[in-house]
Amino acid sequence: MGLQMRIVLRDILRKKSLKNYYLRGQVEGFQFEVFLANYRGHFLSTMEQLAVSIDDQPVPKKDILFCLNGKEFIVDDLKNQSNEFWNIAVPATIKVRKPGGLEKGTHKVGLTLVLRNPYLPKPGSSEPHSYIPINSSDEQFLELG
Amino acid sequence: MADIKLGITLYSFTYEYLTGQYSLEDCVRKCAELGVDGYEIVATQMVPSYPYVSDEFLAKVLEFEYKYGVRPVSYGANTDRGKLFERDLNDSELVNDTIRDIQNAHKLGCKVIRAQYLLSPENLVAIAPYAEEYDVKVGIEIHNPETPSTPVMERYLEAIEKSGSKHIGFVPDLGCFATKPNIKNYEGALKKGANQEMLDYAVNLKRQGVSRGEAEQLLKDAGADPFVMSAFYDMYGYLTFHNEPDLEGLKRIMPYVFHFHGKFHCVRDGEETAIPYPEVLAAIYDSDFSGYIVSEYEGHSLRADGLIDYGAVEAVRRHLEMENRILAELEKK
Repeated sequence: MGLQMRIVLRDILRKKSLKNYYLRGQVEGFQFEVFLANYRGHFLSTMEQLAVSIDDQPVPKKDILFCLNGKEFIVDDLKNQSNEFWNIAVPATIKVRKPGGLEKGTHKVGLTLVLRNPYLPKPGSSEPHSYIPINSSDEQFLELG
Repeated sequence: MADIKLGITLYSFTYEYLTGQYSLEDCVRKCAELGVDGYEIVATQMVPSYPYVSDEFLAKVLEFEYKYGVRPVSYGANTDRGKLFERDLNDSELVNDTIRDIQNAHKLGCKVIRAQYLLSPENLVAIAPYAEEYDVKVGIEIHNPETPSTPVMERYLEAIEKSGSKHIGFVPDLGCFATKPNIKNYEGALKKGANQEMLDYAVNLKRQGVSRGEAEQLLKDAGADPFVMSAFYDMYGYLTFHNEPDLEGLKRIMPYVFHFHGKFHCVRDGEETAIPYPEVLAAIYDSDFSGYIVSEYEGHSLRADGLIDYGAVEAVRRHLEMENRILAELEKK
């Protein structure tokens, strides 16, 4: 990725956050929580990549919801959220629609999350809109209780 | 003679805040315990209602001020030119965002804003009337690898002088006066396994003024390891150092300086390991400066890297003690 920012002072994928979620009594899917690997928060419009895998299987984009500030965004709509701010002290919840959910036990959760650092242009670049990426990706074995 | 007040930027407590050990209130209380009466707040880090300051948040800030006698004096703004997904903000949008920052600072009672260099000299001049109306001073941060004399900063100086406004200027980060490699890039690199001979070679290339591209090639040809290369990139970038601190440049811009970031990573035996505080503080002391130097601790990962065995509060305590000692010595002269 070349020059990138990544400030990991706490877990990106939060331990104990993996669980199935319910809708009208049925398991609709699973969810987990994510902290941003930086020292400050960012507008959601700076998110350039968001992808999830579970037990090494990529999750289709259409099944992912990025949940923050009481709202649930589909992946392709994140780029339009230039006034929706992700507070650095608040984890986002990622919901993956999967009727029936996940089995109890340990699961390998993979997250690809890359943002633009909107005040740090790439050094030496004369291109407009070219910023140092913030790499907030992670991969962890999380326990679903 | 200058009127120097010492404060703390809450950014110093980044590790404790992000890991949930300190709330905002804890950060403010620590400032009081460390003996200062003013703090800087980085809005994108600790204002939950960002990009606005909610009445609820203001009430908290006022409550803490009442309880601890410490108040916000400076508002750290981020000039997020790249926040939209498809293009950079245009000048009018950057100006609007900065006007909002001025109103936020005013609401919090901060008299100073740290802005960043993506706000161009022309845009800085454009916001001067708003800065004047609210009596909030907006300063462009001078952060490594910039120094007061680099061409980017020269352009600001020219625009500021021409504008005649007393409400726009500079916020120098004292890290830009570093004369040695950062502790992370020397001791830290060695600890990770960097070859010392090669690391010293990298330091010497920087000292001899070899260009970044040429030095990179020389190091690669010599077979430098990744730890040396990583330190090398920092030494030519945001953690660079110079043989001589740019104090002449500082003297030239001092009429337009109303706030400093007292950057530090490690104070050991009464000295910052990379930044010559005695010389820098003497230059400030001999000016007409009136304002705060806020301690800005950036060694958030040094403890985890095994380079120090204490947290942010002790780090800031050492920094304030060093500054107070140096200022007392200057007073005696």
